[in-house]
Amino acid sequence: MSGDSENGGALRAGDTVPVAAMDDAGLARLRKQHGLSLTHDELRLIATKLARDPTLTELHIFNIEWSEHCSYKSSKRILRSLPTKAPNVILGPSEDAGIVEFAVVDGERYGVVLRQESHNHPSHIVPYEGAATGVGGIVRDILCMGAKVVGLSDPLRFGNPSLQKTKYLATTVIDGIAGYGNAIGVPNLCGDIAFNASFDDNCLVNVACLGIVREKDIIHSYAPEGAAGYDIVLVGKATDSSGFGGAAFASVTMDDEAQHKSAVQVPDPFLKNVIIRASYAVFEEVRAQGISAGFKDCGAGGIMCATSELGASGGVGVRVDIDKVPVSMEMPAFMTACSETQERLVWMVPKSFTPTLLRVYNEDFALPEVAERAQASVIGEVIAQRDFILVADGEEIAHAPIAEVTEGITYEREARERTREAREPDLPEPDDYAKAILDVLAYPDVASKARAYKHYDTEVQGMAVIRPGEADAGVIKPLPDSDAAIAISSDCNPLYGRISAYWCAANAVAECMRNVAAVGAVPSAFTNCLNFGNPERPEVLWEFTEAVRGLADACNGIPHKLHGGCVPIVSGNVSFYNESTRGTAIDPSPHVTCVGILDDYAKAITMRVKREGSALCLIGPRKDELGGSVHYQLQGELGANVPTVDFAAATREIHAVIDLIGARLCLACHDISDGGLAACVAEMLLGGEGDGAIGASLSLEGGLRTSALLFSQTGGFVLEIAPEHLARCEELCRDAGVALTRIGETIAAPELRIAHNHKAIARVPLARLAHAWLTGLEEALR
Amino acid sequence: MSHVPRIAVILFPGTNDHENSQLAAQAAGMRADIVRWNDARDLAAYDGFLLPGGWSYEDRIRAGVIAAKTEIMARIRAQGKAVLGVCNGAQILVESGMIPGLSGKVEMALAPNRNPRIGGYYCTWTHMLPVGTCAFATKGEAVIRIPVAHGEGRFVTREPGLIERLWRDNQVVFQYCTAAGEVVDAFPVNPNGSTQAIAGICNREGNVLAMMPHPERASWMRQVPEGVKSGDAGPGRTVFAHMKAFMERGARETRAEAAR
Repeated sequence: MSGDSENGGALRAGDTVPVAAMDDAGLARLRKQHGLSLTHDELRLIATKLARDPTLTELHIFNIEWSEHCSYKSSKRILRSLPTKAPNVILGPSEDAGIVEFAVVDGERYGVVLRQESHNHPSHIVPYEGAATGVGGIVRDILCMGAKVVGLSDPLRFGNPSLQKTKYLATTVIDGIAGYGNAIGVPNLCGDIAFNASFDDNCLVNVACLGIVREKDIIHSYAPEGAAGYDIVLVGKATDSSGFGGAAFASVTMDDEAQHKSAVQVPDPFLKNVIIRASYAVFEEVRAQGISAGFKDCGAGGIMCATSELGASGGVGVRVDIDKVPVSMEMPAFMTACSETQERLVWMVPKSFTPTLLRVYNEDFALPEVAERAQASVIGEVIAQRDFILVADGEEIAHAPIAEVTEGITYEREARERTREAREPDLPEPDDYAKAILDVLAYPDVASKARAYKHYDTEVQGMAVIRPGEADAGVIKPLPDSDAAIAISSDCNPLYGRISAYWCAANAVAECMRNVAAVGAVPSAFTNCLNFGNPERPEVLWEFTEAVRGLADACNGIPHKLHGGCVPIVSGNVSFYNESTRGTAIDPSPHVTCVGILDDYAKAITMRVKREGSALCLIGPRKDELGGSVHYQLQGELGANVPTVDFAAATREIHAVIDLIGARLCLACHDISDGGLAACVAEMLLGGEGDGAIGASLSLEGGLRTSALLFSQTGGFVLEIAPEHLARCEELCRDAGVALTRIGETIAAPELRIAHNHKAIARVPLARLAHAWLTGLEEALR
Repeated sequence: MSHVPRIAVILFPGTNDHENSQLAAQAAGMRADIVRWNDARDLAAYDGFLLPGGWSYEDRIRAGVIAAKTEIMARIRAQGKAVLGVCNGAQILVESGMIPGLSGKVEMALAPNRNPRIGGYYCTWTHMLPVGTCAFATKGEAVIRIPVAHGEGRFVTREPGLIERLWRDNQVVFQYCTAAGEVVDAFPVNPNGSTQAIAGICNREGNVLAMMPHPERASWMRQVPEGVKSGDAGPGRTVFAHMKAFMERGARETRAEAAR
């Protein structure tokens, strides 16, 4: 290892770079020349950690491993306060995805595998490919746990919809998600879309994914015990330079968009489709032969990251021969090691199993025929010595203690409270409540999302019980031999984040729980993706800290209905640096996804009212909490009274709703969120397809002003209850300490009638409600 | 119990619906094996074949065209037994010339959807009416609620008089219709702009059917939107039940005999 740092352009992969002795000017040149994103101090720290100067390859390795994306260096310390332990956790946040108990079938415990991620920066620059590879990446995280991949959720945030750029981004991202998810045969189960100007320069494309696995068939993302001597096998697409530096790109503020295009990966869902099928066949062989194996997504940081993390977490070392990596282009060895070429995974298997593994991928599923140079091939081996060694051309181009490579660094950054001047506006009551209701329904965040999900295959795999649009959560029955079902919902209201990051996070958790409870499922676990601006800004880090506190308080404060512990967070992701070069960060966006479990899918109900003459009942009293509401947004106001969550009351309400639905006493249920009570009832009348024909007559009472009653987004539920079940429901709610307030009834006339304190205030035909709700998003994106 | 019909569910690179198709066939009382495209096993042991949905060979060139030219398709064709092609499977059958199968050449196409509101891939629930009798349906039976999910599902042809001939020869099997059974050749009843709202076409002998809607995704009541959630047979089960009955009578029987 030798070399000349002053002439960096001629540096070879194994050459030493004398960073310890470089002055700031020299380091600045080095950063620029090699596209490094670490700070000068961090670059010097590499030499301290290694007790020598790094090679060029090692420099790139640490540049990736110490990026925010890989190391969580700003967030790790703060995330420790999240509740992750509960009796139903099978695997907490330590590997590629978390696992929570699902059901026991024939004495075997099954788990739901879940994880959420972002692909924000790539999607903003190259929206189709960025969104598609976002789906592709999360699917590998689920697959590599030995799981069958069964569903996706897509929470999306875009800028002001009147901008051409927003229309282009939104429609292209939707196409990218469809293009990938449909092709690999994984159904979309839920998701949401919200628009506001804070996302003009930085859209959010999050994706959550679910898998199903029998507990004893879990494959871990670490080298199993006694792995020394195992083969390291790379599976998938031939490596190219695409996505090189992707992790580092995700860890800086976007400046020059064009400059980062090469950091976006190229999707190949067709190849992924075949890799998934082949991997399922390998799982069967692993079971049949009773071997132990490690399996990991080859994502951020490529082969380098995947192999070092597999090794380090298994307490072993790895030796990878870069010359054995199938490539589709000429490139320096460090690039082959670190590029983020899509559709690749890494196995660690006993040498005796390698022929089986290679046969399944290369012959049975014929990867080389599916895509040029795609294959499974042995690229190295597990070694007992705890070192990370990369070899190219017979020379060691990197050789470092494996723990140093993967350990990362931690910062204790400054957090400083952001003081915003939030105030409640002094607005007159609407002249025309019917118009106000129609405006709310047509608002893109509230309007039907059919424009998006009709592009997605919601039916593939045949497990759908409740599909997007039909209810607050999607429901699938994933096991042929069990009636147990999974409900899933994703949520976060960025406008709440603008007022209070804490209440934004707490509301997201509570609303997600209400969503799965509204179909009858028990909220059982969370995954999340926390999207924020630059953490080096003290106000951003403070908001992040506040959001984490909100998540923790809500997950602890609304305990699991069955075991009484927290509803655990079993996996997650942090996405920082979501801001424009003008220095404006996105609204704090702690996106969460909740998995709920139903013991019997047949108990699940939708939001659509089922018959006339039923009672419509409210759970969750209305409060004057219009801060961040759609009603205020329509009048150009943000407000200050963000909905708060009374955790004890929310717990009683959520658990009571699950009990009422479980006892088959409810015909329909919908949670109150965006658009408030008025939007909630309108959506129940319209149903997911917007073709409902049953009307409702509401008679609201109380001293709250009418607009707050109709549009305040305080959490709650509206339930449709048949008259013969009303007394029983009231009794159950009384016993549970929950107020069940009858607010109206369903009627034959196809219209929504509303009276407040016995004075008629609105009468709107269903056809007008349907038109507003069905066309709102389509019109906004036109 | 005599012979239980056994079918092969063919898995091409890119197929997605093989597992739920296998389950749906089993639920209808058939035995069903998933068989990879490059599996050399003898197909004579099977009474019928199912080509499931997905996007075989990445829809390269045109949806279904590459799979249509594979060796396994030639072997399936040579068996002369019941063949059900759903979605991408339907596209494969049309591209292979097996549907409508008049000349043995490609006579029709499944063209990109025409949808006035949402272009491209479209996933929704529809209704279809059995308007012809074959191994998979009987004319005059009840409306079937069933989902579609595709970007290229519009049956079209440039052959003059072909559609009339298909009608005359009882080869038009399913048409999109309203819940009440009224065929409407306009969106949203016709979800993709297919000629005369045609959803499924069989060959002259009636043993091969190409249909765009997915019966395997409507094989249990729990799958039906806003339906009573139960494990009872869903509306799409009838396609598999007919297939099974046809194979029980002998896979080589003609449609005329099967209809009796």
